[in-house]
Amino acid sequence: MSTGGGADKSGGGGGGAVKTPSDFLKSIRGRPVVVKLNSGVDYRGILACLDGYMNIAMEQTEEYVNGQLKNKYGDAFIRGNNVLYISTSKRTLTDDA
Amino acid sequence: MAAAAAAAAAEEEIAVKEPLDLIRLSLDERIYVKLRSDRELRGKLHAYDQHLNMILGDVEEIVTTVEIDDETYEEIVRTTKRTIPFLFVRGDGVILVSPPLRTA
Repeated sequence: MSTGGGADKSGGGGGGAVKTPSDFLKSIRGRPVVVKLNSGVDYRGILACLDGYMNIAMEQTEEYVNGQLKNKYGDAFIRGNNVLYISTSKRTLTDDA
Repeated sequence: MAAAAAAAAAEEEIAVKEPLDLIRLSLDERIYVKLRSDRELRGKLHAYDQHLNMILGDVEEIVTTVEIDDETYEEIVRTTKRTIPFLFVRGDGVILVSPPLRTA
């Protein structure tokens, strides 16, 4: 039984304990994620891969501005300097907080 | 048929081991680039580097501006388009790059 502390259980499921942010990022490859940029725009899709600059390649990407779907991209590359956070979207996120 | 599809999927998975591979696979193809300051570009990708500096050809640039009507205070979204035969894009302004959608 998992007794992981803190609110964030993303990527923590299963046998291995996630120890570092890099381990988290490796564990979410291939999963649906939400990427929020500094500008507030959200990108939702399947995380294909990322690198040390936090550049991101995503598949089936949808762009949300103020919660509204604006664009769809089959594949998308996001330059890492723009990234505020990456979150697995297992649960529906509420941006209202 | 299924084997061929699986092989193609495996090939694509091998081909995109890191995000810049997505850019490499877009060389000589038309791509969509989202830039800061509400600019968008569509053009043929001739070259790029690890900073996302890019050389694009046959480029269409779209600039989106929002103006406020003085009388009604309505927001008016306006797009300005221009074509540029050959363009060097500085990487630090790049937000997003997307290869052409196959279904589009």
